[in-house]
Amino acid sequence: MSDTQTNSLAERLVARFGEVLGKVETVRGETTIEVAPSDLMQVATALRDEPDFDFSELIDVCGVDYLGYGQNEWETTSVSGAGFSRGVHGEATGRFDWEGRPRNVEMERRFASVVHLLSIRHNRRLRVRTFCEDDALPLVPSLVGLWPVANWFERESFDLYGIVYDGHPDLRRILTDYGFVGRPFRKDFPLIGNVEMRYDPDKKRVVYEPVTSVVPRVLVPRVIRDDVDLQQAKAEAADHWQEN
Amino acid sequence: MGLISSIDRVMHNPQPLDRVDDILRPAGDNPIVQRGWATTSVDALMNWARTGSMWPMTFGLACCAVEMMHAGAARLDLDRYGVIFRPSPRQSDVMIVAGTLVNKMAPALRKVYDQMPDPKWVISMGSCANGGGYYHYSYSVVRGCDRIVPVDIYVPGCPPTAEALIHGILQLQKKIRRTHTIAR
Repeated sequence: MSDTQTNSLAERLVARFGEVLGKVETVRGETTIEVAPSDLMQVATALRDEPDFDFSELIDVCGVDYLGYGQNEWETTSVSGAGFSRGVHGEATGRFDWEGRPRNVEMERRFASVVHLLSIRHNRRLRVRTFCEDDALPLVPSLVGLWPVANWFERESFDLYGIVYDGHPDLRRILTDYGFVGRPFRKDFPLIGNVEMRYDPDKKRVVYEPVTSVVPRVLVPRVIRDDVDLQQAKAEAADHWQEN
Repeated sequence: MGLISSIDRVMHNPQPLDRVDDILRPAGDNPIVQRGWATTSVDALMNWARTGSMWPMTFGLACCAVEMMHAGAARLDLDRYGVIFRPSPRQSDVMIVAGTLVNKMAPALRKVYDQMPDPKWVISMGSCANGGGYYHYSYSVVRGCDRIVPVDIYVPGCPPTAEALIHGILQLQKKIRRTHTIAR
């Protein structure tokens, strides 16, 4: 990735915005900044309009649910030659009872909205992460006014995570079924869902019923720690971004 | 006598006999070309007409639809069997459910099926349509399109090859030949 300016993007961001940025890091050449929801519009407008940054294109908006982040019952340090069970029994996120429901312990806040930006002039990319203040009503300002392409991305994030984008012109569900209840990408949403459907010959229409045909499964992939990629990532994280 | 029984045997043939329909034979062996007429039962005639022009409703939902397109395109050429894809349920006899049926699509699928005129058949193509397949434990996928419409033929595979789909269509032809509309 070529850079038209001498000092790095992270340094320029810190110099321009200073205290407004919660966290700036560059991992593997990808720069990420954290911005509070109240500052997002100001920062995003500057990133788009100032010639130093000129992030004219918005690539993606996505939601993140950090519930249960860092905890994993599937975590293992070895590869099994016999394979792993299908995880029907036991507890995990997605098939818990009320007492055993996952709780937010690692992260201070649960929901985040992540924006990926591209500057065509400088050939630079930037990731902007905004943590929502309130877990019960995650609220983030909408970027539709700055980049119209954010419209459907924000609807998708609203649909799947329930993150509310303040100022969005048409915030309604985009992917899930008509009349769908729940936010399916949240970590506490059961993978098999709450309803399944079949055709009812008496009513002559498709009806919804509680799920009875399947039992819940683990919905997170098994993570094998200490492989080469993770060691490499750890080593890179140990280096400070400014020295790179 | 011989002609009726031979046509009848071919038409109601549950097992392959390595024989083609009389009217499809070369001229020297073809009773219609030789004599200008043939006798048969109404059942056999109806089944011959139904199997000879099965027009499927195009219902491609996912990657299986690409294999369905291959079956219809130049190399395998479903037109040879009189199978011509129709864009309208009103003109269709067969519905090929090709792909993942999600909850949001299920009412539309049922509506299209209801709009097809009788007699009608359904071919379920691929793992997802057969029983949910890869998405069996998903919150948004119907665990088999037979929960929504009655299915005649299941074609396994993920996705099934175009040859497998054609095999399924030929199996459906056999199934139709076994039906008796008049004689019971």
